[in-house]
Amino acid sequence: MKTKIILALCLVCSAAIAARAKTLQVVATIPELGDIAFRIGGANAKIDVLARGTEDIHQVVMRPSLVPKLNRADAVVYLGLTVEHSFLPGLLNVAANPNLRADAVKQCVGPGCIDCSEGLVVLEKPESLSRAEGEIHPFGNPHYNLDPEDGALIARNIAAGFSRVDPARAEDYRKNLKAYLAELDAKLVEWRKWVAPLKGLKAVSYHKDVAYLERFTGLEFVGTLEPKPGVAPTPTHLEKLVEKMKREKVGLIVREQQYDPKFPEFLAEHTGAKIATIGTMAKAFPDADTFIRINEHNLRAILAAVGKTP
Amino acid sequence: MSHRIFFTLIAFLAAALASSARAQDVPVSDTQNLLKDLQQRVLKLEGAPAKASLSSFNPAMGAALDATFHSANDKANFDFRALELNMEAPVDPYLKAWGVITGSNGGVDVEEATVETTALPHNLTARGGRLFAAFGRLAHFHDHELPVIDRPGSLDGYIGGETRADGIEVSCLLPTDLFMTATFGAYDKLGANNARQDAAGSRPLDEFTYLARLNTYLELADGHSVELGVDSAWTPKRTVVPTAGGDALHRDTWRTLTGLDLTYRYQPSVGGLYKGILWGTELLQNDERRIDPVTNLPTRRRPSYAGNSFVEVKSGRHLRGGVMADLLEDQDDNRKLTKTLTGFLSYDVTEFQRLRATYAESMVNAPGPKRRTVALQWTAVFGNHVHGFRDR
Repeated sequence: MKTKIILALCLVCSAAIAARAKTLQVVATIPELGDIAFRIGGANAKIDVLARGTEDIHQVVMRPSLVPKLNRADAVVYLGLTVEHSFLPGLLNVAANPNLRADAVKQCVGPGCIDCSEGLVVLEKPESLSRAEGEIHPFGNPHYNLDPEDGALIARNIAAGFSRVDPARAEDYRKNLKAYLAELDAKLVEWRKWVAPLKGLKAVSYHKDVAYLERFTGLEFVGTLEPKPGVAPTPTHLEKLVEKMKREKVGLIVREQQYDPKFPEFLAEHTGAKIATIGTMAKAFPDADTFIRINEHNLRAILAAVGKTP
Repeated sequence: MSHRIFFTLIAFLAAALASSARAQDVPVSDTQNLLKDLQQRVLKLEGAPAKASLSSFNPAMGAALDATFHSANDKANFDFRALELNMEAPVDPYLKAWGVITGSNGGVDVEEATVETTALPHNLTARGGRLFAAFGRLAHFHDHELPVIDRPGSLDGYIGGETRADGIEVSCLLPTDLFMTATFGAYDKLGANNARQDAAGSRPLDEFTYLARLNTYLELADGHSVELGVDSAWTPKRTVVPTAGGDALHRDTWRTLTGLDLTYRYQPSVGGLYKGILWGTELLQNDERRIDPVTNLPTRRRPSYAGNSFVEVKSGRHLRGGVMADLLEDQDDNRKLTKTLTGFLSYDVTEFQRLRATYAESMVNAPGPKRRTVALQWTAVFGNHVHGFRDR
């Protein structure tokens, strides 16, 4: 009897180990990439996410607890264009995973690296590379996750990456991709109607991260609260911005939730413009834990600020 | 007449049809030509070599400029502390290398010249050359990265500046869900200004310094974490130059430097790197037979203790400040204790430029005046300058 129990336990254990071995271990840098990876990977993938979503993506803290996850990962899904420079290469460097090596330029090199920006039409490529221009990204604006249309590109890149790392289940990933794209397409049709009245409305943002959102909404961003990317607002710059906003009749201030509200409130007070608080990552707000939900939340916030309803 | 009109109309129609057919033909052939032309141009672009120059493989470079002003007991000076030039690049798929060359009033010095493996199996990483050994936490920070302007006396006195060492180090990330690393090292000596051993010249293996360190990290709650490290640097034997005095004086000249470091962090997710509280504490024990400065012979074994503890509050992108207490027991005379209390305030103009002010009061439990120091620091980093995981 004892022998049978031991044998049964061994069988269960080996089955559990085999099942675990089959699961694709994936680490995503930000929550919406984790969400899309989960949709594409389905039951075949276990997803861990590095950022919480409420941080500034440029300042995500390197928590050592993330290192064992990267050490065991088969793939890492990241936004790319150096936006994760403050945490991803540093963590990969310690994770000692030969499939995911840190790289100063590409952030990650190795067979498990899935760069979601592949094939992206990059906006705002800097004309000159100098720190005098602030904290610029050398390959161009990396905040393409704020354009709902780019969800499809992200999903396709993740599906292609999963199929490369785990070719045996490529068909599953293709099916999951198709289902996700159908859901996203339906939302895009709806959202395009929502944003139609925004076309041509002038706005300012806190950080220069709204180029892709501008492309989707048709809003016209004429300035930023930061005098240069990554440089905190100064009184002189804000005074000039107030004048510009009054002159150009700017009615909307887009504040990314991770930034201090006092400067946008100052602008609102002096110009009468309305503030829309948006998230730059999923989970920035409790009700916005997926790519679709964060984009919907952002569009609703902008529409509400300009007095429109979806 | 009607026939003539009819034929003329037919001729017109035929001409019109012919010209219409030509009009349709021309765009088609034009489009085909355009497509061919575009295809050839795309092929040329795709087949063209990548734009590169012979300097494409040069290392990424950067520098940190550190200038200070010190005023202590009615005397003051401006001090160009260092220009630290750093460069880093992958060597090949298996190795990366970096170097740090420092120019200061003391001359030009190579602080680090390190190669590090990137593809060893079993979670191993080996580094060698001139490196900052993985002893303690603040001990391997460059001066401009410390929370205060002047290196704490406990670290300076017991280690001898930064943990600079010529040697080799192997780290292993243990295969557990809990972050845990073990590091082992062997060096000529530990500490840039450690005068116990000459950095140059060969020696028996028992006069090398050997290090073991264990480091772990626990997340207590959302935003709260503790990092703990224990380490010991062991030098089995020390050369005593005068041979006189008998065997007893030359036995048991081993030295151990043991350390314990604890770092508590509160980092709310909104605010990232720029908000929160950092509390760091390091304790050191030195155990050795000190050398009598008169006879140059080893004295009796004497353990001594030192340590520092600091709290830094980060209030936002610009401001952070705190206090540090440092205790230093004299290694030659345990009764002599130096206590230093330092208040510090940093203003980060941008991520690449920092202004800092400190006020320090030093007291020795012996007759004599207190030493009060006001210091100001201006630090700028330019080019490629990355603080990795270890120096976070």
